[in-house]
Amino acid sequence: MLSYTIRRLLLMIPTLVGILIINFAILRLQSASLTQSMQQQVGNQEGASASHQVRSQASYSAIENHLARFVRTGNNLPALINVRGWLDKDDVVALLRQAASPTSKPSVRSQAQSTLWLLGHFGVEPLEEVIADDSLVDLHGQASVALTLDAYVPLNIEDLKYMSEQRQDDIRVRNGELRKYRFPAGRDDPDYAEKRAKLLALCERDKKEFAHTSAAAWGALLRETGICDFFYKLFSGNLYSETRGDYVFHLIGDRWYVTFWLNLFSIIIAWCGSLLIGIRSARTNGSLEERVATSSLFILWSVPSFFLGTLMLHHLCTNGADGRAWFPNRGLESDDSLWLTTPAFLWDLFYHACLPMTVLCYASFTSLSRYVRGNLLEQLQSDYVRSARAKGCNEDQVTYRHALPNSMITMITLGSGLLADLFGSSVIVETIFSIPGLGLLLFDAAKNQDGPLIMGSTVISVLLLLVGILIADLLYAVVDPRIRSKYA
Amino acid sequence: MNGMKIGLLAIAVFLLFLLVLDRSRQTEQFADLRKSIEALNGSIQQLGQGSVRSAPAAVESTIPHVAGAPTTGATPAAAAAEHADAVRDGNPKLGVNFLLPYDRSAFHPEWVSGTIYSLGATSKSLNPLTDTSAVTADLHSTINSELCYRPPAHPEQWMAALAESLIISDDYKVYTFTIRKGVKWQTPSIASKPEFAWIPKDVELTAHDFAFVFNLIQDPDVECPSLKSYYEDLSKIEVPDDYTLRLTWKRKVVTSLSFSMEVSPLPRHIYTRNRDGSPIPEKSIGVQFNKNWFDEERQAIGVGAYILEAYEPDKRIRYRRNPAYWGEGQHFEYLEDNCTIKQPDAQLVAFKNGDLTYSGLRPSQYKSEILDRNEPRFAAFDPNNRKAGRSGEFAWEECQTHRFSYIGWNMRSALFKDKRVRQAMSHAFPKDRIIKDVFRSLGEPVLSDVHPTSQYYNHDLKPYAFDLAEARRLLAEAGWSDTDGDGILDHEDHGKRIPLRFTVKYSKDNPEWDSTLLIFRDELRKIGVDLQLKTLEWPEMMRVYEDKDFDAVVGQWTMDWDIDYFQLWHSSQVDIPGSSNTCGFANKRLDELADKLRVTFDVPERIAIAKECQAILHEEQPYTFFMNPHSIFVWHDHGPPHKNFYLDGVTYGLDHLPPLTNRSMMYWHFVGN
Repeated sequence: MLSYTIRRLLLMIPTLVGILIINFAILRLQSASLTQSMQQQVGNQEGASASHQVRSQASYSAIENHLARFVRTGNNLPALINVRGWLDKDDVVALLRQAASPTSKPSVRSQAQSTLWLLGHFGVEPLEEVIADDSLVDLHGQASVALTLDAYVPLNIEDLKYMSEQRQDDIRVRNGELRKYRFPAGRDDPDYAEKRAKLLALCERDKKEFAHTSAAAWGALLRETGICDFFYKLFSGNLYSETRGDYVFHLIGDRWYVTFWLNLFSIIIAWCGSLLIGIRSARTNGSLEERVATSSLFILWSVPSFFLGTLMLHHLCTNGADGRAWFPNRGLESDDSLWLTTPAFLWDLFYHACLPMTVLCYASFTSLSRYVRGNLLEQLQSDYVRSARAKGCNEDQVTYRHALPNSMITMITLGSGLLADLFGSSVIVETIFSIPGLGLLLFDAAKNQDGPLIMGSTVISVLLLLVGILIADLLYAVVDPRIRSKYA
Repeated sequence: MNGMKIGLLAIAVFLLFLLVLDRSRQTEQFADLRKSIEALNGSIQQLGQGSVRSAPAAVESTIPHVAGAPTTGATPAAAAAEHADAVRDGNPKLGVNFLLPYDRSAFHPEWVSGTIYSLGATSKSLNPLTDTSAVTADLHSTINSELCYRPPAHPEQWMAALAESLIISDDYKVYTFTIRKGVKWQTPSIASKPEFAWIPKDVELTAHDFAFVFNLIQDPDVECPSLKSYYEDLSKIEVPDDYTLRLTWKRKVVTSLSFSMEVSPLPRHIYTRNRDGSPIPEKSIGVQFNKNWFDEERQAIGVGAYILEAYEPDKRIRYRRNPAYWGEGQHFEYLEDNCTIKQPDAQLVAFKNGDLTYSGLRPSQYKSEILDRNEPRFAAFDPNNRKAGRSGEFAWEECQTHRFSYIGWNMRSALFKDKRVRQAMSHAFPKDRIIKDVFRSLGEPVLSDVHPTSQYYNHDLKPYAFDLAEARRLLAEAGWSDTDGDGILDHEDHGKRIPLRFTVKYSKDNPEWDSTLLIFRDELRKIGVDLQLKTLEWPEMMRVYEDKDFDAVVGQWTMDWDIDYFQLWHSSQVDIPGSSNTCGFANKRLDELADKLRVTFDVPERIAIAKECQAILHEEQPYTFFMNPHSIFVWHDHGPPHKNFYLDGVTYGLDHLPPLTNRSMMYWHFVGN
């Protein structure tokens, strides 16, 4: 049994890593580009739900701020492999031409532009070569913008704690110089020659930091990548949600228990209820009662939960003429619940959770009870049940002692996914009944494309899924002697 | 026997659980009790400070009035008329005080009472500069005041607020403010804790607090990109003495007027200190400010009408009236924002149950609740005003917003480069019918990007009437005809025949647009145009605007009080990635006018220029301008306040808020160009 458990646990590790990598890839594919996030940041000014545009103009100092945000989230790094250490002048010139050409589509141009701005310290050396080259004078303006942005190092509050005073001052001075020597207008800038010379001198001075040595290039190949950054933050608990201004695990920690208890109880109710219905309908198979029960369950199943929830909200939770409603319309507890006695508090919780739990579990009655019925029927027709009947067992004994345990194996399989479902299924219920749980948090995160928050909660639900599978595996062993004997 | 054992065990476990729960709740209760005692202590201290100012008469006497202020006997209307004679042309007066005196006439001390609940979206940090979310902007406008106040109904009539006077130099580059004396910063609630005892109390507001804000905005380390762009041209910030602030701009531009005047101060005495009270070195103030300890303690202070009492993200934000407020505030003792109820249906039910004292209605809710009278508690229409219902348990009123929606035509596309095609589209768009049927008349058709009530609005424009025959004629004139007999018009372009078939992209967030575009599609089909719909999530829409990746697009702009035609329509903006000229509109005459408008300060001249711009846009139709949406504002109408109602949700004062309340002010704060 122990070796079986260890085997299962070890198998979980590659599964977890695989799932995380796929998740990360999907997230990176749809994450906001630099220019898009610039727009979005302005748009937030109006609240995401208002969804209308705001007039704004980006200046270079504003772009520096956006870059700082990107650097903090690790979105500036390439996703899986970093080959920027081998970037040369020709690549950069190609990008610069793409960004400058008036004929190509705006999306292509802004793509090329933000790629250039996000090259980081490896972009400095090739860009410096472009600026030093007199024949590429038409690209100098754009190149100087890209170079000054690539060499720019934003200071974070953490840096103030861990970085030496000297280094901080150096960075501040250099950032100031970079800002001063930028010439977006290229040759038309009045101080073009002077700025260009000073910018080149600066790059020469800090050559060490920006050099493409093969050690730096190979070192960055896997280390300076988005996925590395993400795993580091994930395992050190530093995943930070920019749209919420808080650490992801802190946000989840504040909310998980609401969703957890609500779902746990609704699952228990759904299972117990459907077990009873399933057994009943297996035993009365073919009768009028069973047919009526089945068809009414299917009718219930076909009502979407957001519809039923809204109906309940409008008809059971709205105050009538006498100023009272049947059920509370929001939250999981009353405003003064803190000062209730403990039994009254529990009753208050139950009263508030009644409708949300109903909406959560009514649909599972149908599917689960159909499984129970099907499995039980199959078992009831098998040989060993016939011998049990022949032995003289009454019908109750046959069902509960012989057939039911054997039909539960499928139910365990179904149950393994339930823990993970806890975190996904409650979005609708939580919005309708205004319950501040994980579902609402996730919904907002998805709407605002808040990558770290989505990833953080995906990790949690993946872990839960794996734990669920593990429990199911162990339960198989408990229920099925064949598995037990195999690993004995 | 076994069963009984298990049963007993279960009961024991349950009792144990009860015990543990009981214990843990006790500690929570004690913590809560301690908090309320602290709050009580705080209030007692505040009471000691505020006693001088509690009587309205005392308020009148302690604040010196600027010459020309209305006397207490004058009615508001008379006072307004008086102002109208003085400075009401809106032209900036050079060399003399430009500001109107602060108007106190709307305040009735006998109304002050009650609690009011409103709604908030998700709340984030409290940082006033780096967090640009609507919730934060709203919060700071509640607890803080601005240098000058801009009455929503007459945006060009600036009033003295924290600045007592403003003198503008002859070249429109130097703005000299005199700051009001005797205004005190609020004391944050954490100051009663021993570890924060260093926080100074009763700090007076000085010009340094304003200079601090400008310096922060210009500090490259402070992450406020959207603000930063607006203050690039601010070249000098000087504080000659504690009550004088002088701003020098590099260029003469109209927008520097509002960017100078619409600024709120920040408490320098807190943001320049560490958590333990030691000063932060000058050079790292910017970096520290991005994520400072004061925000992490969930605190914010200002000099405004309300004090932030409790801030619980995703739960509630609670304010208390500031007894030491320098001006006259709103009519409530407490304000509370509930941040948990987000879904529109849940909001409506919460409003009906009294959890919310005021709320808004969507067009579909307006139809079912008020027009169809499904909820008898909503007041019936006022006999003499079809836009309000005031006599009933739930009163309601229709309010204007400051936005306009449109369908934009991409003029880079072969389909829409001819202006006749765009005009035909506008002729085929049944604007009035859609506003009536889909939006339930909650909106006013617009012909340009200026608010219909603004003095800049060009009333001489003739709307594109819904006329399919005219649309067909215009399309034929532009060379579109159905040559292949498939029912869709086509046209020869660069040797290829292209059909008049296009996709319009719009955001999922506004369900009314589904029906609107379906109606439009039916009309277009009658004249041989094939319209296809594509709905996208808002972040994806951002990308569409950004990359100009559309044939036709639905959008909504905030209308600006400072009329400007540069950003949206100037031809220099066509080829810049991410610019706001999404349709690729270029017109020489409009370029000239837009440049001129930016440096013209004289109002009649500005009006003339703006009207000509609108005429050009109307002729060219880069957008089919649609409408200015109206919103429905509902509140619990409890009648005049009574002593017993002291904490009971009285909203009498709401009745007297102007239709464009502070709430819409929020959209103007730092918006614009």
